[in-house]
Amino acid sequence: MLTDVEVRSKKTEVAITIAILMASIPLFLAFSLLVLSSFSKEMMTNLSLESFRFTIENWINVLQGKLAFTGGIRQNILKYTFNTALVALGVAGVVTLISALSGYALSRMNFRGRKFLLMFLLMLHAFPGVALIVGVYLLYRLSLPSSPSLVTTFSFMYVIVARAALEVPMATWLMKGFFDSIPWEIEWSAIVDGASRIRVWRKILLPLIKPGIAAILLFGFLAGWQDLIYVRTFLVEPTLATYIEANLEAEYSHMPLIAAAGTLYLLPTIIFFLTSQKLLLETHSGGIKG
Amino acid sequence: MVTVRLENVTKRFGKVVAVDNANLEIKDKEFMALLGPSGSGKSTLLYLIAGIYKPTQGRIYFDDMDVTELPPKERNIGLVFQNWALYPHMKVFDNIAFPLELKKESKEEIKKKVTEVAKMLKIDHLLERYPYQLSGGQQQRVAIARALVKEPGVLLLDEPLSNLDALLRMNVRAELKRLQKELGITAIYVTHDQAEALAMADKIAVIREGEILQVGTPDDVYAKPWCKFVGGFLGNPPMNFVESTVIRESGELLIGESRIPAPPKYAELLKKFDVSKVLLGFRPHDAEVIELKPNMPDPPMLVGEVFAAEPLGRETIVTVVLDDETYVKVFASKEQKFDVRDKVGIVLDLEKALLFDKKTELVLERAFEKKEFS
Amino acid sequence: MKKYSNLFQLSFFLTPALVIIIVFYLLPLVLTVYMSFTPIRNWNTERYLSQFIGSYNYYRIYHMVKYDPIFRQVMINTIIFVLITLIVNVFGGLLISLATYFINEKSSSTLRLVWLLPRMSPIAVYSLVWYYFFHGSEIGTLNSLLLKLGIIDKPIVLGQGVIPWGPWSIIVFINGLVGVSFGMIVFSSALSHIPRELVIAARVDGATNWSISRKILIPMIRWHILYVFTWQLLSLITSYAHTFLLIEWGLVNRDYGTTLSLYVFLTAFGRGEQDQGLAAAAATILAIIGTVLGFLTLKILKFERMIAKPRGDI
Repeated sequence: MLTDVEVRSKKTEVAITIAILMASIPLFLAFSLLVLSSFSKEMMTNLSLESFRFTIENWINVLQGKLAFTGGIRQNILKYTFNTALVALGVAGVVTLISALSGYALSRMNFRGRKFLLMFLLMLHAFPGVALIVGVYLLYRLSLPSSPSLVTTFSFMYVIVARAALEVPMATWLMKGFFDSIPWEIEWSAIVDGASRIRVWRKILLPLIKPGIAAILLFGFLAGWQDLIYVRTFLVEPTLATYIEANLEAEYSHMPLIAAAGTLYLLPTIIFFLTSQKLLLETHSGGIKG
Repeated sequence: MVTVRLENVTKRFGKVVAVDNANLEIKDKEFMALLGPSGSGKSTLLYLIAGIYKPTQGRIYFDDMDVTELPPKERNIGLVFQNWALYPHMKVFDNIAFPLELKKESKEEIKKKVTEVAKMLKIDHLLERYPYQLSGGQQQRVAIARALVKEPGVLLLDEPLSNLDALLRMNVRAELKRLQKELGITAIYVTHDQAEALAMADKIAVIREGEILQVGTPDDVYAKPWCKFVGGFLGNPPMNFVESTVIRESGELLIGESRIPAPPKYAELLKKFDVSKVLLGFRPHDAEVIELKPNMPDPPMLVGEVFAAEPLGRETIVTVVLDDETYVKVFASKEQKFDVRDKVGIVLDLEKALLFDKKTELVLERAFEKKEFS
Repeated sequence: MKKYSNLFQLSFFLTPALVIIIVFYLLPLVLTVYMSFTPIRNWNTERYLSQFIGSYNYYRIYHMVKYDPIFRQVMINTIIFVLITLIVNVFGGLLISLATYFINEKSSSTLRLVWLLPRMSPIAVYSLVWYYFFHGSEIGTLNSLLLKLGIIDKPIVLGQGVIPWGPWSIIVFINGLVGVSFGMIVFSSALSHIPRELVIAARVDGATNWSISRKILIPMIRWHILYVFTWQLLSLITSYAHTFLLIEWGLVNRDYGTTLSLYVFLTAFGRGEQDQGLAAAAATILAIIGTVLGFLTLKILKFERMIAKPRGDI
């Protein structure tokens, strides 16, 4: 494909590349030092190579849930990872299901208030989250089941749906965009053949927007996976985020352990990042075209 | 003004060869059309001349200067894109003025030159509008004005008419040709439309799969194609090709059941060289369809039945299926009436008919010259 | 008959979303406003929820704005934080997307990947990474770098010691990069939709990277620049997660790092004495600001024009 003239100054291009590289150094350094430190006896963040003594002890300790400074208390890190994943998967599922339904209606059905609803969703997307969380928490307190055995389950369900709710407006807009890209004629021919809208949606359109569904699933998963505020406010059980939040104040000698936990937490993000870059960019550019 | 010369230019994109060892000279003030089907590499060739692409091998010269490594801006060229590439956020005036602004010319100078070129292209009343407020034809003029305003040595045009509707295209075609002659500028024009190339160009280079097959004046390329592809690509409908066997003893061609004499200019060649299978090529205008009447001495002709007759107003295209299932198209006068399945004969103007080697698809004289024939 | 079936189908598609919106947006909003008129504290709903104290909480905020130095500092922090970070976001995003536009495909997509990290990484990890970077001891990357270069002779405690610009620059830097990610994604996507012929035509006419950016690329993505500007303004007013962690971990000074939205969060959920009534009142004010700004944004960006009517009459 035609991109730019091939006969151009290589010098400028090299200069620009070097400039961006320089600007990226802090970012690159900060993340790689975290990963490196997780394999070292001492933190590598002081930039001195002497502190690097390779070990996988941090990882073993983290995975076994040993936290040195708490002595005997074991933290079940696998359980925390599982909790984080559960929230992330739940959010992904709820967001995708709801937005696949509402995105279809807003893309394909004409009804009074459609325009208003679309604008309203954009407003909600931009709405200050902190103004909501106070009310959302009150609602949580008021609807908490009285039986203690149910509290854990309830808190999982609540955090999933409440966190998903934050993503629903944007996801609906994105889904609408995916439905918009499917030619109307495909749908008309099915309706002419006697299919109901629900049937058309399920049998014809959903299979056609599979890439879009994958994008929203990923979008929802990452939103749930990275969350800190909602899980620490609502969830009874710890997740990777709250584990790191609570245990950072360990003494220096145990910092590499937290670095290992952080790397573990970062891992899925990096994996998705490298494998589905295009999908991610599609959703994160907001699906909004000017 | 400038003569453009390409020497052994090859351009590869990864493993794909887009232009294969091209040699081409475009003389000063000449209007050269690069003609070929889509994907043939003709636009790549143009972009190589413009400096947008850099050749993998070979050199490009403007007059005697080697410009192969020069960036586009130092080649003093004007380029018009297929979609015209007008800047949507700039008024027509600013669009045309843009190249001059980049040259840091003075405000008055810019104003003078823009007005001049706009007058020449009859768009001087549109200078204060935005591109989206213009019709396709007007946008195209703006694009040409922008290319001409910096007084380039070479004007490069990449299918500039293909976004216009058919009627407008005919008008612009004539205007563009006149403009080029008036300005006396070297022009290189990429198109996939053979009629456009024939109508406008001084010379045509026919390109297929990155290879320049033939370069010549429109008349030459039309009447004396060097190979089957060129014959088949030019003309509407294109040249007919009929498979035939050479009977060396009598100097005749055997086509299905019919025998006709070989075109006289090939008589010598056919005697000299041993070739049995050839393709007989003839243009739809260089033949006549006649009704077969019983008990009449038949002239030598091809025999078949009418498949369809399409009246075009002034004349009729008759499609005939020959005995061997070959379809040929021939023009007939509108007075002649044909029905489907009528038995007809086709009498050729043998002076204009051509023979091609069946395997290499080169016209026979070239096939023998290159000693490439079956 | 047809009308009812249409209504049924429409509600099938829309009910879940509407329920979610009502339960998790509208109802909480009503509850927040209601709470702002009660003296509720420490989430003691049984004791306080039924008491009505009128606009007392709002009066307290008014009083704090006037006399409470800590709260006044929060307001200053918010203004400084939002303004500077906004500029960093828009210009940083624009700079990176333009710069990567002019270099070859491979290096630009790799470089962009690095710049996506701030927005993609989990909040806790992203904050952790910068916690180490800005740490006030020798293990802090920035400190050890400056020590090695001989610019300083003992570690500086940027987030606690250098008041107020230390904590400010840390929160601006960290939140700024997240916004740069966002800006870069939006701008790069917009730039990639500009027909390349426009750029090449300009090159043929002799334009440099600078003149192409200034005369063609930037004017053509004006809408997107406005979009990032307004959207980031809204989200900066309300984002607090990273700053929350950095303050909790002691990297950033609490008084000079707290912004309005974090103040609301800490008042409602923080350690020690919680005062949800006050938090709810502040949240209500934030909600009003957010709604007005959001409404203006939609008007300015002319989103309405982007909504096309569905085709056909089925």
